Amino acid sequence: MQTVVERVLNLLIFLLETPRPVTADEVRGTVLGYGEQSDDAFHRMFERDKDVLRRLGVPLKMEALDAWEVDFGYTVDPGEYALPDPGLSNEERVALSVAARMVRLGGTPSGLAALLKLGGVERGVGLEPLGADLGRGSDRLGDLFGAVTERRHIEFEYRGVARSLDPYGLAHRRGHWYLVGAGADGERVFRVDRIEKLSMGGEPGAFDKPKRFDVRKAVDTQPWEAGQDPLIEAEVEFAPEVSWWAARTLGLPDPDGPLTARVPVANHDAFVGWVLSFGEHAEVVSPEELRTEIRERVSAALEALS
Amino acid sequence: MTSARTVDRLSRILALIPFVLEHQGADVQDVLERFDYSEAQLARDLNTVFVCGLPGYGPGDLMEAYIDEDEVIIDAAEYFTRAPRLTPAEALGLLAAGMTAIEMGAASQALSSAVAKLSAVLVPDAGHSLSVSVGEGTEYAATLRAAAAEGRVVRITYRSVGREENTTREIEPWSVFTTLGRWYVMGRCRLVQDQRTFRIDRIKDLETLEEKFEPPEQLPEPNVSYTPSPEDVTCLIDLSPEARWVLDYYPVDVLRESNRAIRIRFSSPDTEVPARLLLRLGSGAKLVDGVEVAERTRALGELLLDMYSRH
Repeated sequence: MQTVVERVLNLLIFLLETPRPVTADEVRGTVLGYGEQSDDAFHRMFERDKDVLRRLGVPLKMEALDAWEVDFGYTVDPGEYALPDPGLSNEERVALSVAARMVRLGGTPSGLAALLKLGGVERGVGLEPLGADLGRGSDRLGDLFGAVTERRHIEFEYRGVARSLDPYGLAHRRGHWYLVGAGADGERVFRVDRIEKLSMGGEPGAFDKPKRFDVRKAVDTQPWEAGQDPLIEAEVEFAPEVSWWAARTLGLPDPDGPLTARVPVANHDAFVGWVLSFGEHAEVVSPEELRTEIRERVSAALEALS
Repeated sequence: MTSARTVDRLSRILALIPFVLEHQGADVQDVLERFDYSEAQLARDLNTVFVCGLPGYGPGDLMEAYIDEDEVIIDAAEYFTRAPRLTPAEALGLLAAGMTAIEMGAASQALSSAVAKLSAVLVPDAGHSLSVSVGEGTEYAATLRAAAAEGRVVRITYRSVGREENTTREIEPWSVFTTLGRWYVMGRCRLVQDQRTFRIDRIKDLETLEEKFEPPEQLPEPNVSYTPSPEDVTCLIDLSPEARWVLDYYPVDVLRESNRAIRIRFSSPDTEVPARLLLRLGSGAKLVDGVEVAERTRALGELLLDMYSRH
């Protein structure tokens, strides 16, 4: 009795060693483990095995065997199959092994599977009292990264709205993964765990990423910097109890005393919320329109209270 | 569907063969550690390899694979000279691990160059399309890590979560870690004489003292979730859908959820945090239950209205 593992190994060897596309029938008649099946059983088995090959990272291609595209064959190009040698030194391999063990993604060491393909985990590496967890992770994260690197167009649902997107980049921030891309309404940021019904049908190389695109810039903006409101500059005073905390958020040096900061604001709503999170320890000095918005917000809250 | 176990097993076999082909007669012990194998697993996989090969499947067509004394031998497998390409998920995992370690300040020159080499092969401009940041506070994280390694007491000025005031305390730092985007130091707090976890971004001042401490032999599992205490103030709030983000930023219990409102239970050491939250949410939230919180919200709200009526 042939195991799945043996059958897939034999299939892969056959595909790698045959320099032309082979039909499903040829596979059935040649590769050990397929022969004794009924038609239905064979097709189910073959579909499953092709899926396994793709999940392993094998570039399985389907090609037409005639001009009328009636018959199709399968092929694996050995050059495309082979992992290119990144030319890592021993020291670099050790450093990667340490990193992979220190960082977790989806509850397992991040990158361990990749390290195996690169020649295994180097031993004798010490661990520091240090760790990082990049969250739950998911198959979808890999799919999205594939779409980003291969420049494939994707479609999905986000908060109940259908989206069509050219994905430019992925970023991990504050415990969440974000996807940045361009759609009908311009460049936007999406939380990966809120993406639903992802469809990845697109061809590779479907779009060009803007040359200046940097995913860090796209995600490293404060909520009140990213908005459609006319850009204004707010002047805010922070009391000594909170000034260091505000300064850190704004990327300013530790004030060691009260702080008066000028903050560019493009989203009034988010900015008002942030200032109010300091209670009475922060006050917007100007402009008057933001002071009015704060009064209105507080009044609305007090009204909701009664 | 084929199980993930089958895929994992095949993936390891396809990684093992090229390694052994390049290091013929590799030491068994090295192979076990390198590929995270048990002896039985390695023997089983070699036996599988041994019965696979080219069509015909006669003795001359199959791969050779066996253990001889302490050496792993694989032969007649030229088609597997290289491992398969990394899947996007695998590439992402390794690059993310490298980028994270670099950001944590745990990186050597070697790691930076390794990540650069990998990016060049895997993703031509990974630097612009992938970014991993595990949060702020990395400078203090490095200091605390050094203190933990040397077993030195530190003195911190800390802004407690849920009680917006600064306290100064001495702690014995045991370990430093980051999860869900935040950095923590876990250790024994001398102020409360118990084990505590502190958010590093909330440490205002940090000073490493000369005094040393003895860390526990077995480090407890880190716990970063907020544990309500019996003295906590509790209130019930209905959030409108626009205020949903609150669930991501505060440790709350969701009691029920409909299209119109999300009812949460909010616990904190004092009334300050829920009061500020209610004020910033404006009409986006409604306090359903909590007399003390209502009182504080009203008082703070009137103070603010006063403040913003002045000129």
